[in-house]
Amino acid sequence: MTLDWAVVWEHRDRFVDGAAMTLLLTVSTMALAVPGGLILAALRMSSIKSVERAATAFVEFFRATPLILQIYWAFYVLPVTFNLRLSEFATGLVGLSLNVSAFNSETFRAGILSIRKGQSNAGLALGMSNWQVFSRIVLPQAATRVLPALASTWVSLFKDTSLVSTIAIAELSYVSLQLRAQTFRYLEILTAMAVIYWLLGYPQAKLADWIHRKVKVEE
Amino acid sequence: MIFKRAKRQGEQRRIGEDKEPLLAFERVSKFYGPLQALKEISFHINPSEVVCLIGPSGSGKSTALRCANGLENIDGGKVGFSGIEVHQAKTDLRKLRQRMGMVFQNFELFPHLTALRNISLALTMVRKMTKEEATARSAELLEKVDLLDKAHQYPAALSGGQQQRVAIARALAMEPDLMLFDEPTSALDPETIGEVLNVMKKLAEEGMTMVVVTHEMDFAKRVADWIVVFDEGKVIEQGFPRKIFEDASVPRTREFLNHLGWHDLTQPEFESNQPSGLGGTHEGSGN
Repeated sequence: MTLDWAVVWEHRDRFVDGAAMTLLLTVSTMALAVPGGLILAALRMSSIKSVERAATAFVEFFRATPLILQIYWAFYVLPVTFNLRLSEFATGLVGLSLNVSAFNSETFRAGILSIRKGQSNAGLALGMSNWQVFSRIVLPQAATRVLPALASTWVSLFKDTSLVSTIAIAELSYVSLQLRAQTFRYLEILTAMAVIYWLLGYPQAKLADWIHRKVKVEE
Repeated sequence: MIFKRAKRQGEQRRIGEDKEPLLAFERVSKFYGPLQALKEISFHINPSEVVCLIGPSGSGKSTALRCANGLENIDGGKVGFSGIEVHQAKTDLRKLRQRMGMVFQNFELFPHLTALRNISLALTMVRKMTKEEATARSAELLEKVDLLDKAHQYPAALSGGQQQRVAIARALAMEPDLMLFDEPTSALDPETIGEVLNVMKKLAEEGMTMVVVTHEMDFAKRVADWIVVFDEGKVIEQGFPRKIFEDASVPRTREFLNHLGWHDLTQPEFESNQPSGLGGTHEGSGN
């Protein structure tokens, strides 16, 4: 078997574009899923029972079903049921964001609940509003506590973006699988794909580990 | 310093008795599920008075304190603070709370903020002071509790006693009419209890109105103007310290005091120039 690595170099532009799309998807998804997770967490902690239940149902649905199903659902069901026609990119982004929001909401909820009630009481006793207490006292403390978990989610998300290749978004997996089909150079193309994922993913994973070690809430 | 509060043991009139009470509990009840934490309790605090709430753990003292500034709802009766009913929908609790400082058993300093910022946060956010004004005011208060050198330390770097003094400064920064202390020394090492009690004693001498939930019987006897005894969610007795400590009329009060090892009934009268360190009977455990 002769290996032809030139084929990888030949298609370098498409690999670069694919990798850029993967990073763009990761960053955009997180940018939506952090506020999304916060809103869901807030709804889940609502004192209004029906709101809390609806949010819980949403979170449990997205946590307990496969991401690929959710992406297909967004791609096929959303346009038909809600007459909502989005671009492939937007569809993929919606699918990923809803999923990661659900996971983030659990992370945030745990972080917020881990701040003891005395802290809120101390803020309230000073005459601060509920929002001031939440944004200036609870959230900053919760944020440092959830940062490691958020970093782990980030690394998973980076790899999970590969699932949107199924709806023809030209990210790294889609591009690689296409090139494979066009060139029949399975080994070279898939190896290149693995190397690129690893080169991008490894520093992120290391950064997440570093955050894990670095962030300790001192009390 | 003006010593508004000369000790007048044996005098029959309570301090500020001629004025309207600053804080008044009237037949206040409070339930936690089926458990009745407060059973129609009534007591009041006059302006410039130091009132200590004593009694066994779980007897409702701390719950009563949290009802005073609306951190807890009540299920019956009413709590009045300078003529305003605390637990009414139309009451602006935020305004009210600015006039009542609160100090907690576990200090509850904000761990992500420096000592100075712990104090200045509410000044900027609630009092709408500029950052410079708030910083200057916070520094003044840190100086008052003798911790100006710790201004830029985070709470984790401070001892328990230092943290509690910062917490007292934080509450004082809002210039409250009333200070609520919820077992302020129960979580402290014995050697740092004295420094916190001294700050409180100084406040009392300056004429601050204070409600103190405490297990420090020595402090209660020496500094309080009035004692309210709690047991099983009820106020079982109240009176002047000398009466409570030396001649309690309710057997359960005597039992409680004996249980804490309060045998020292003939202790000499407190003198204000006594060296610092109000050591005495400490119940070691918090709750």
